[in-house]
Amino acid sequence: MIELSSRDGVRKFSNYFWLAMLCLLAFTAIAPLFFIFAYLLVRGWAGLSFAFFTEIPKPVGEVGGGMANAITGSLVLMGLSTVFGVPLGLACGMALSELKKSAIAKMLRISIDLLTSVPSIVIGLFAYALVVVPMRGYSAWAGGFALSIVMVPIVARSTEEILKLVPASIHEAGLALGLPRWKVLIRLILPGVRAGVTTGILLALARVSGETAPLLFTAFSNSFGYRGLSAPTASLPVQIYTYATSHDETWRQLAWTGALVLVFVVFCLNLVTRILTRRTV
Amino acid sequence: MTEAIQKTVQPIGVATAALETKRLSAWFGDLHVVKDISLTVEKNDVFSLIGPSGCGKSTFIRCLNRLHEETDGARVRGEVLIPGAGKRENIYAQGVDPVSIRRRVGMVFQKPNPFPGLSIFDNVAAGLKLAGVVRRNVLEEIVEISLVQAALWDEVKDKLKKPGTSLSGGQQQRLCIARALAVRPQVLLMDEPTSALDPISTARIEELVMKLRSDVTVLIVTHNMQQAARISNQTAFFLMGELVEVGPTKSIFTKPKDSRTEQYITGRFG
Ligand SMILES: Nc1ncnc2c1ncn2[C@@H]1O[C@H](COP(=O)(O)OP(=O)(O)OP(=O)(O)O)[C@@H](O)[C@H]1O
Ligand SMILES: [Mg+2]
Repeated sequence: MIELSSRDGVRKFSNYFWLAMLCLLAFTAIAPLFFIFAYLLVRGWAGLSFAFFTEIPKPVGEVGGGMANAITGSLVLMGLSTVFGVPLGLACGMALSELKKSAIAKMLRISIDLLTSVPSIVIGLFAYALVVVPMRGYSAWAGGFALSIVMVPIVARSTEEILKLVPASIHEAGLALGLPRWKVLIRLILPGVRAGVTTGILLALARVSGETAPLLFTAFSNSFGYRGLSAPTASLPVQIYTYATSHDETWRQLAWTGALVLVFVVFCLNLVTRILTRRTV
Repeated sequence: MTEAIQKTVQPIGVATAALETKRLSAWFGDLHVVKDISLTVEKNDVFSLIGPSGCGKSTFIRCLNRLHEETDGARVRGEVLIPGAGKRENIYAQGVDPVSIRRRVGMVFQKPNPFPGLSIFDNVAAGLKLAGVVRRNVLEEIVEISLVQAALWDEVKDKLKKPGTSLSGGQQQRLCIARALAVRPQVLLMDEPTSALDPISTARIEELVMKLRSDVTVLIVTHNMQQAARISNQTAFFLMGELVEVGPTKSIFTKPKDSRTEQYITGRFG
């Protein structure tokens, strides 16, 4: 009897031990997240001011200034990529869900998966050749175009996944009213999956907001603020990259604060998608 | 007046047919599930289809609004005639657009299937709105009439902006009936519309079907013999894809001609 219970004790102890080990490993895995947050707060907080959001950078050597140019630039680029990328992504997603298992759908699905895995620097290069070279200069157009290519597959796949969850009986209800398939899909099915589709778009935006490589030689940068869609355009990630590697202390501070703001925005986008998905499920 | 003219032009009986099938067959791939069905449904009939599970009732009525062909591998042969502009028209004739047929032959499904994300009002208005009716007062009027017809108006008139999916199962089914009625079909197909509902909702829908018959011809699939007896004036008995017997409901239930019909309605098989 006694022996048995002591063996029980050993088993219990080893259970706890393994559980503790697993928890420790899990925390190790997500520790970088907290370090990043903590470090960004420590380094970036000091530079957080009204001026950061409203002023353009000062020349090297002068104190003060902000990243207003990069913030507006990023907003413009994200706006442009949404305008190009979302309709295309939605169309792809809807085509995939309509064509289901046909050969065209299979091909489209493979292409979209491949597009997801194309390194973003290559997408930048493509946009450079296709937009920057013919337009003879860096522009918001080129940057927005490159980012939209990053967005399309994300929006397409998430839209397809969401539409797959809609039962066939809902499609049939629409068809039985004497409506063509495309009208049923766009006007009757899509409104029912609004939240899910929005989630996909926000996730794509969160991803794109931090993309640096596709912007390096498409939108490039500027330090004056918005000068039109055909002019070089600054963005948070590119400016963070440039300023963080500079020798100017003020600029380096701007880079840290910019990184803090960027992470905060991405964090918020993710939070909103969480709330949206919880509401639909 | 117009009826009198029609009667002089066409032989009596044909003039009033709301729907006629001629040697209608349907397949899923190689599976022949509806076999050579020929039957006539008169105008303002409530026509019930009975038969054991899997005998092809759903497939048959899904052929009548050309919905069967939307399934992968599905195939149809034969004719379905419905009155069109001035004369009868085969819905499977070459060049006929299934979309225009479905506007004239409506359908209510076994499980309530309101459009998620659309309000009660928009659910009922969907067919009209997407067919190009934009005048708000016209839409409002038809939505109200349809909801009244479907015996749902009193329960929803104060919450037309609420999602259709927020209603109870029985209310959702009546919403789906209102939605089908709003496009003013000549024929309404109902596939076991009350099988998922409680007795009270069932009674309301039965009542509604009996009221509807003055405006629209109803074909209803049911597993409930009492229901068929209560609401229909014509009944067809299907078995393994074939039409065994068709006739006035009373005589099918009291003196069936075929022994298989008798066995089925007395509950000896099926
Ligand atoms: N999508 C499908 N693919 C292949 N076969 C099918 C499909 N749907 C139905 N069937 C087959 O067709 C036959 C007829 O089915 P149907 O749904 O018309 O029967 P039913 O009389 O409506 O039955 P129930 O009373 O159970 O609804 C059945 O044998 C069924 O297995
Ligand atoms: Mg059925």
